[in-house]
Amino acid sequence: MSDGASETGRRSVGLTALSVLSVSGFLGIWFAVAQSGLLPKMVLPSPWDVVTAFQHSLYTPFAGATMSQHLVASLGRFLSGFLLAVALGVPTGLLMGWFAPFRYAIAPFFETFRFIAPLAWVPFAALWFGTGIGGPILIVFSGSFAAAVINTFQGARMTDPRLIEACRTLGASPWRLIIDVLLPSATPSIIAGVRIAAALGWQSLIGAELIVASSGVGYLIVQGQGSVETPIVMAGMATIGVVGLLIDWALRLVELSVTRNWRGA
Amino acid sequence: MNPDRSERPKALMIGGVCVAVVLLGWWVSSLSTDAMRMPSPQAVIEAAQQLATTGYAGGTLLTHVIYSMKLALFGFLVASGSAVVIGLAMGVSRTVEALIGPIIAFIRPIPPLAWIPLAIIWFGLGDGAKIFVIWFTAFVPTLINTYTGVRTIDPTLIAAARVHGAGTRRLLLDVYLPGAAPMIFAGLRVSLQASWMALVAAELIGAFYGLGRVLMTAAQDIFPAMILVAMLAVAASGALMTLVLVQIERLSLPWLRRPR
Amino acid sequence: MSGIIFSEVTRTFKRDKGGDYVALQPISLQIPDGEFVAIVGPSGCGKTTLLRMVAGLDSPSSGALTVGGREVSGPGPDRAVVFQQFALLPWKTVRENIGFGLKCRGMRAAAIRPLVDHYLTMMQLEAHADAYPHQLSGGMQQRVAIARSFILEPSVLLMDEPFGALDAQTRIEMQEELVKLTKAKPRTVLFITHSVEEATYLADRVVVMAGRPGSILEIVDVASLRRSESWNDRAVEEVMELESFTRIRTRLWRLLRTVDRSADGRKTPQLSIAS
Repeated sequence: MSDGASETGRRSVGLTALSVLSVSGFLGIWFAVAQSGLLPKMVLPSPWDVVTAFQHSLYTPFAGATMSQHLVASLGRFLSGFLLAVALGVPTGLLMGWFAPFRYAIAPFFETFRFIAPLAWVPFAALWFGTGIGGPILIVFSGSFAAAVINTFQGARMTDPRLIEACRTLGASPWRLIIDVLLPSATPSIIAGVRIAAALGWQSLIGAELIVASSGVGYLIVQGQGSVETPIVMAGMATIGVVGLLIDWALRLVELSVTRNWRGA
Repeated sequence: MNPDRSERPKALMIGGVCVAVVLLGWWVSSLSTDAMRMPSPQAVIEAAQQLATTGYAGGTLLTHVIYSMKLALFGFLVASGSAVVIGLAMGVSRTVEALIGPIIAFIRPIPPLAWIPLAIIWFGLGDGAKIFVIWFTAFVPTLINTYTGVRTIDPTLIAAARVHGAGTRRLLLDVYLPGAAPMIFAGLRVSLQASWMALVAAELIGAFYGLGRVLMTAAQDIFPAMILVAMLAVAASGALMTLVLVQIERLSLPWLRRPR
Repeated sequence: MSGIIFSEVTRTFKRDKGGDYVALQPISLQIPDGEFVAIVGPSGCGKTTLLRMVAGLDSPSSGALTVGGREVSGPGPDRAVVFQQFALLPWKTVRENIGFGLKCRGMRAAAIRPLVDHYLTMMQLEAHADAYPHQLSGGMQQRVAIARSFILEPSVLLMDEPFGALDAQTRIEMQEELVKLTKAKPRTVLFITHSVEEATYLADRVVVMAGRPGSILEIVDVASLRRSESWNDRAVEEVMELESFTRIRTRLWRLLRTVDRSADGRKTPQLSIAS
């Protein structure tokens, strides 16, 4: 018995080693190719160049502001659009899930607009808001809204009807049913929807900033492309990725803490 | 979101009434608001006719749609093909997963559209950059779904096949692929939508033809009616491609029990 | 006060594809105040439908159903229900679950607490007062469900195969507890079960139903035997060895078997006293 256990133990150690090797190998190859001069520097800067560019951007403005300032601008737009989408989307999803007439009324519009890619709103955003903050917020909203509604809707439908019946026999009023049964049972789906909405919103924001912005991390990398400063472009991309991850992790923590007690199996 | 059979007439009625009310409201408000901000229904219909017949931004509706679709589909096929192959490899072999997994984990958080500037540096403003971006966008969902699909196959089935003497090739074709197929198709659907969105986005930034170009030109010309037409065309084309994919899925997976 | 009267009650459902499905043929049954009635029958015979109608979760297609002289108009705490799958709220602790009905009534937390404590002790759940349902075994969860119902002092108790999801040992313990509880405060009980032994051990009368469409085949009286042989003062194993118990149980078994093989046709309820 110990043989089997130690063998799987050894195997997973081996696999982890392989992963570490893979990542270092990847970085190593990248470094070597960059150093060797096989590809021009503007195509493939070395990892070190990227790191330096990032550090540099922290105090020296690029494309009008430092990296931190760009980040703040981006996050501000993201949060506005995302929070608006959640604040409107979750109640909409709940109402659609609980009240059939509401669902029938809203569904045609929802299904039509849902398929329009967030970035397709860019022209209208440009028309209505110019390069003002309204544009990116609109696009973030259109990216996040559908996810919030759909997941909330599914959560609202998922309530075990037996629980509802049981609470009715205990004398629960409709209001109490909503607070103590319907809402808690929809919560896991709502949070899952919020996480997806955040991811989609962040992506839409970056896309929007590539086109209709004058600040922000998306704007930064597009300016970097314009002046062919590849290291800063890569540094920007990495930053975007890391921030996206952090947002997701933060939401995952929220999810765990809310559902920890009654998740069970 | 679909109502059950008995509720359908009621659903259609309520939905229909609301749509009618909104359309009416749109028409009424377009009479008073600035034509630049909110196009009137008639203007939209005229713009649609124009786009369909005489053309706009360098081509008719058909030209643009075909151009965009061709590019998106090509990128999608390249991406999903490679994703399925690599995903199968990762699902079957833990070694491959350990090798490739971490690299994917690093690339994944970067939003696909963020690759556009880099793609332009590397490939210029032509189709190559677009295919590259589409590849990144479409690759990840199908990859993850493929290798999750392989991993969640009932191990008893694999053991049974092995016991009957199935070699690697037979295992792949007759057990892994069909077993993971539902999840693969789910990933393909996401990838297709993502490809389409990425293509439109890339075209917004720079293109000669395509629906994205129509959108951008209409914005620059301050032609809101045309913008709306182009947006609807984008939505319709996306929906059409997804429909075709769903049909292909239905035909390739006859053994699945489908919900009513 | 809490007697149940079924007068020619029927229940018909509409099929999805059109047409009607008659779940219950006209049922007439009188359950006096305080009587413990068990209903046995094959799957699909409509026994759950009967219970749901008394609970107010369903209503008759025709005929009249009254509880305590009044027509049933919806679910309520006067007719508490215990379900087979417990139906506890997973996001509330044991304490909160038990006190839920009282909270719905508008009682203040301070007033609820001592009542809940009383029932926690009675059902031996004190150690788990702040646990969540998923942390408890099936038997404990059902105890919580029963406490949740009892704390409301319902005049009618409706139980739909409440011990069906429990293992055999726990099941017997729960049966004994139920007898103790109903002996302490007698109330009208409608108890659905598949187990003939369980029905015989617990009930004053056992209603045997035939299915598709549902109707009452026969009603077997157990109360007189229970009294004359003092079942309530003996342990379960003792009772199950008694000849009278075995006879009733066998009779019920035989009835159930004929139900499976019999053709349709109205069966008038017969009250028979197993001699």
